[in-house]
Amino acid sequence: MADFEAAKIVHENHLLLDQPLLRLPYELLRKNFRSAHWTVEKESTQVKTLLKDSATASLNGRSSPEDVLKSLDTMLAKMRGLKRKLSSYADEEARLYRQVGARVSHLSELSGMHTVDDVRYQEWSRQRLDRLLVDYLLRHGYSASAVAMADKKAMRDLVDIETFMSMNKIRKSLEDGSVAEALAWCNENKKELRKMDSNLEFMLRYQQYIELVRAQTTDKLVEAITHAKKYLIPYKDTYPREVHQAAGLLAFPPDRVARETSVSNGFLSVYVPYAALYSPDRWKELADLFVHTHNGLLALPASPLLHIALSSGLSALKTPACHGSHSAAKGSSVCPVCSTELNELARAVPYAHHSKSHVEHDLLLLPNGRVYGKAKLEDYAAKSGLPADNVKDLVTGDVYPQDKLKKVFIT
Amino acid sequence: MEVLQNDLRSLNQASRLTSAVKDVDLIIAELTAAREQVAATLDTHTASLTMTKLQNPLKERFEAVNKDLANVSKAQKKLGKSLDKALPPKPLPTEHDAMEDRTALINRAIAMHLLREGEFEVASTFITETQDNPSLDLSPHSPIPIPTDTGDADQSMSDIDDEMSHSMSTTGTTRHPDLLPLQSQELQEKFTDMYRILQDLRSHNLMPAIEWARQNSEALEARGSNFEFELSKLQYVWLFKGPATNNLPDDARNGRSGALSYARANFGRFQARHLREIQQLASAMVYAPNLADSPYAAVFASDTAFSDVAASFTREFCSLLGLSAESPLYVAATAGALALPRLLKYTSAARAKGTAWTTADELAFETPLPQRMVYHSIFVCPVSKEQTTEANPPMMIPCGHVLAKETLTKLCKGTRFKCPYCPSDGNIKDARQIIL
Repeated sequence: MADFEAAKIVHENHLLLDQPLLRLPYELLRKNFRSAHWTVEKESTQVKTLLKDSATASLNGRSSPEDVLKSLDTMLAKMRGLKRKLSSYADEEARLYRQVGARVSHLSELSGMHTVDDVRYQEWSRQRLDRLLVDYLLRHGYSASAVAMADKKAMRDLVDIETFMSMNKIRKSLEDGSVAEALAWCNENKKELRKMDSNLEFMLRYQQYIELVRAQTTDKLVEAITHAKKYLIPYKDTYPREVHQAAGLLAFPPDRVARETSVSNGFLSVYVPYAALYSPDRWKELADLFVHTHNGLLALPASPLLHIALSSGLSALKTPACHGSHSAAKGSSVCPVCSTELNELARAVPYAHHSKSHVEHDLLLLPNGRVYGKAKLEDYAAKSGLPADNVKDLVTGDVYPQDKLKKVFIT
Repeated sequence: MEVLQNDLRSLNQASRLTSAVKDVDLIIAELTAAREQVAATLDTHTASLTMTKLQNPLKERFEAVNKDLANVSKAQKKLGKSLDKALPPKPLPTEHDAMEDRTALINRAIAMHLLREGEFEVASTFITETQDNPSLDLSPHSPIPIPTDTGDADQSMSDIDDEMSHSMSTTGTTRHPDLLPLQSQELQEKFTDMYRILQDLRSHNLMPAIEWARQNSEALEARGSNFEFELSKLQYVWLFKGPATNNLPDDARNGRSGALSYARANFGRFQARHLREIQQLASAMVYAPNLADSPYAAVFASDTAFSDVAASFTREFCSLLGLSAESPLYVAATAGALALPRLLKYTSAARAKGTAWTTADELAFETPLPQRMVYHSIFVCPVSKEQTTEANPPMMIPCGHVLAKETLTKLCKGTRFKCPYCPSDGNIKDARQIIL
């Protein structure tokens, strides 16, 4: 039966929305390991060199026991520092493995369910919605709500509060006009960013340059030129347009650009690109670029999972009747697309495609043009306490004698 | 997924960074010991001897740390492999985010979802947080006028319901658009009521529900709902069973006599519509000693009666608020997960062919959903294979067969046409538009 097919849970396909659930902690584990590895590499090389040098010096009689003691203290301090850092990486690793464990067992609960009508599936799906909601809340920066929700539902291990919170912090700092936090993040993820050909760091440096030029004092302008030499000129082959514009920007101080563009209404097109560079909107663009890069790096989808679920779900549920003018059953109907909550939202998506009609059995036409299933009409007539051989329109409430009804055949 | 679970379990606990921490600890111990030796004598010879002797062990220790790290990395790679196997990466379709820039609407849907699920605290945090961010404000909606002078929540609620049924009866099929988006505060009060009544129902106390149903009896009846009678009937049955089952005090208001007096006091109003059932309930008195073998056994079997009545209470309550019983957000998200594989298949096929995704009115592929999730009748014209819409409505021809209007127009020769499904023919003016 067709419905049986539709209600079946196809396991290998049912977890599409849940990929980031496991991908993210995995990516974080790798990132955590890389940082740990880098720290060990750095500290141990230093300690090893120090050890060798002080041993040689001591053997050659070039250093006193006090010197040896001093270098031993330095080594100890370094190793203790390393231990501290490594321990925190180990804690993070433990947390991530715990999350992976919790998530894998949450997802494997599904393998015991085979149809969407299973009560357990409904529970599971409800929890999935909760997860999608928290993901949405976090991505939109509603952190307090996200935390409240995750705690209420006891599912901290199933959502990524920490990751998104630190992302939001950096995004916020960019929106407020500061590049420092984002640059620090770039530095942490240097190798991976280079691998994915990200232009984020360049754009951040570019913005720093614009800010220096904007200030227009001699000091700042000199600094701007040094900054450009160090961070922008090396990329003149990768981003030729930006680098050329950056050079040109020196000839277009902000006040003049503002004056010319406001007078000329954009006719003097030579000023327009520079006006764009001075525009405060760039900060918002940088914030968006950062979020995009961040999500790309951690294998997170570009838009909130709830968006993906809703656009696909609303489309699948939507029928031409849902936004029709005479959908009289609107509001009182149980259709989610017709509901107060989602009706407006569903306007953005196309309606579902059907190749077969889905109608009730034994359709009857009422004199007012409305068609209902026989069973429904009889049921409603009985409930309304109508005299025998009468039926009542479920929507309009009109009462008709049964012999005025006509049979409808749907092929 | 089970494989992944097993793989995860078998991943060696030792292949964690903690073992590297332990080895670093050993290095610190060696260094501390060496430092003590040097400090104890402060003698050049001891110092250089200690330092020389320290070289090899420390080198080995550092190698051990590196080995630990290699093991950690190996374990992670293994995890990555079994993750790829269990959940092969399939990029989600994010090129066309239809929900982008609709934050206000989504926020409103979420707020209503939280309220209806009874998550009042989360909802209030959320509403405050969205309002603090003016650009993401909840979409503007005008509040429904609530008479505040009555002071009684139930009272004001029945007023609204009166108003609602009034507006429904006067405007017929169209509802006032501003009537439905209740403000969160009002919505919260209503759902607080709902959860209170549900709580009572779960502990087998029907009275608050009956009271609610009585206050809203007009609106309920207008919907053709027998909920008030169903509740009263259950109350009768519940009393009838007596203190042994219902654990209520054993007095005149309980047991069969209690049921009888309850019936006398309350069933009168239902006589017109439910006479037969009332007769059944009354006649059951005769069979009281062996009810289980009587013709009325089914009426009195109340195993699931309370959970059934709780479910219909939720449905009735929500529908009087103009809401559906199940959270639309939940249904939509579940449907989304079910339809996503098809969407993904289609988008990747379209990408491979180089044809762009067109946001036409209709999806280009079928997304079968379980019967439960089909809410409207869908008519696909058997000739044109197109779904009927308002512009192209279904038309019934005299023989009772239904075609889309466009099909019918094409079929016409002059003003007459022949039915494609039976031998009869007809005139175009005899075809009439129907509403499915």
